[in-house]
Amino acid sequence: MRVLVVEDDRMIAKGLHTALKQDGYAVDGVSDGASAAAALRSSRFDLVLLDLGLPERDGLEVLRELRSRGDATPVIIVTARDDVQSRIQGLDAGADDYIVKPFDLDEVAARMRSVLRRAAGRGDPYIRHRGITLDPVSHAVERDGVPVVLSAHEFAVLEALMQRPGAVLSRAQLEDRLYGWSEGIESNAVEVYVHGLRRKLGNDAIRTLRGVGYFVPKD
Amino acid sequence: MISIRTRLLMALLAVVIATSLLAGLLTYRRVFAETSTLFDYQLRQMALSLRSQIPMAPRLELPPDQADADFVIQIWDPYGTRVYFSRPGLPLINATTLGYADVRVAGEAWRTYGLQTLEGVIQIAQPLRVREAFARGAALRAVIPLLLLLPILGAAIVGVVGSGLSPLRRLATEVQRRDVHSLMPVATERLPQEVAPLVDALNRLLLRLHAAFQAQRAFVADAAHELRSPLTAVRLELQLLDRAPDENARREARTNLGAAVERAIHLVEQLLTLARSDPREEAGAWSRISLEQAAADGIADANSLAQARRIDLGLEAEPAAVQGDPEALRILVRNLVDNAVRYTPEGGQVRVSTRDQASGATLEVVDTGPGIPPPDRERAFDRFYRRSNAAEGGSGLGLAIVKAIADRHAAEIRLDDATGGGLRVTVTFPRPDLRGPH
Repeated sequence: MRVLVVEDDRMIAKGLHTALKQDGYAVDGVSDGASAAAALRSSRFDLVLLDLGLPERDGLEVLRELRSRGDATPVIIVTARDDVQSRIQGLDAGADDYIVKPFDLDEVAARMRSVLRRAAGRGDPYIRHRGITLDPVSHAVERDGVPVVLSAHEFAVLEALMQRPGAVLSRAQLEDRLYGWSEGIESNAVEVYVHGLRRKLGNDAIRTLRGVGYFVPKD
Repeated sequence: MISIRTRLLMALLAVVIATSLLAGLLTYRRVFAETSTLFDYQLRQMALSLRSQIPMAPRLELPPDQADADFVIQIWDPYGTRVYFSRPGLPLINATTLGYADVRVAGEAWRTYGLQTLEGVIQIAQPLRVREAFARGAALRAVIPLLLLLPILGAAIVGVVGSGLSPLRRLATEVQRRDVHSLMPVATERLPQEVAPLVDALNRLLLRLHAAFQAQRAFVADAAHELRSPLTAVRLELQLLDRAPDENARREARTNLGAAVERAIHLVEQLLTLARSDPREEAGAWSRISLEQAAADGIADANSLAQARRIDLGLEAEPAAVQGDPEALRILVRNLVDNAVRYTPEGGQVRVSTRDQASGATLEVVDTGPGIPPPDRERAFDRFYRRSNAAEGGSGLGLAIVKAIADRHAAEIRLDDATGGGLRVTVTFPRPDLRGPH
């Protein structure tokens, strides 16, 4: 899961970055409205945490532009503007949720999961498919009721593939979800994680479409 | 408390009474003078009319009307024997003065007229109280109607003053309705001309109060809003500390938590400084102080941050005197230098100088940072204004504090480009001798 953090306060941005990485997200950060708009135009994110009071361009403006392009990327506003009018404005501008500073990290994490779940069209907080159950909160995975221990990166690859069974994700798309801009990517990392997953969950759990990418069989 | 009504009533009544008494006195004197002339004439006429009747003096009969006026007639023959006395029994003068005279007999004042004829001397006398009674009567007739008018006048004054003061009572009710939440100006229509200046002044005061309350509310709202960011950082780092997976992460979170707390403290301190530099709150007596000393103190305060950011900080001091609050000026310098140090990239330069110029003592702070583009310079003094490239920990209050202190000292601040890029801040103080003790 790749998250864009738009926050002009360096301390808060840094803290969010650390927390989200601990939760297994790939995190990118920008500190002003213009850079946020540019990043959203050029890259694909699973979720955006958006501050409103930004230099250069206001967060609401960035959000409206994103929505006017028809881009449905989930956006959670994280701001110090706590008045009802601002909340209404933010949600009506296309935000999926609205969090007021100072926030609680666990609550931010829960709201992010809730928004991601809805974006994936799931009501169930667990992702279940063909005997595999995946808990996005605890990162616990079970195969036919038996717990399986996965590394953070293995979990991220499995989660990405299980979001939409049958859909093929390329190596580049998977790398996008695993790493932020600043992180170095090893060339065969994705193959290593897929190999690990097949070893732990069974060879049939993830299939390869040669020259295209990986997918979880639909049934 | 002085009641306008009572004062007016007392003053008007006193004037009316004094006027009445004066009128009475004048009437008395005029009537007394007039009756005196008339009676004097009558005395003489009587004497003259009696001239031919001296020989038959003993059988003389007086006309009854003259008896009323208390005339007393005495006639003496040429040998000095009194041959006639109209009121025997009265102790009256045995000798007489010719012509008019005022005499006093047995405690009573008399007016006399003596006439010398061949057959003897005739004297007509009249007590002065007759004339006084006339004059008194006339004076009373003049005064009494005036005194009878007094109660009516008093009632009228009470009524008129009462209705004249009713706009004041209305005004008082209006003003009583004002409080912190409604500082609407008082309506000026239907107010007497005399009260209008008071109401105008009151309305101006209400406007100023309203503005002050608004500013206060805005400040508190801004402050609360701005405190959220450092507090968010504190909470965030605290939670990161709780969930840190290893010792490294824990150490980093602890360091960041410390920085976040420092930042919150810094913001609170700056807020306090700003509140204390309120122009209405006059701190201590102002003295003539040296600007270069304040500059040196302020630089010393900001030195540790400059060291941490490896910034070359220096002072070029030329003696310059200003009239002011030394502590406030030190804070002013500290904030200017602090700002310059925060915005200047590491390894840059910040130069502070003081000069004594014809226009007044000046303080200049020049940095090698990015400067402030001209359109943003006005806003730079706003509370919580921050440039997008601010280093960590700025409160956004530094220049607002500088502005507040400069305003208190009637000093002027100019922001412009330093030669070779960067920001130059110039603070010009008025000449100390042009300002009275504050």
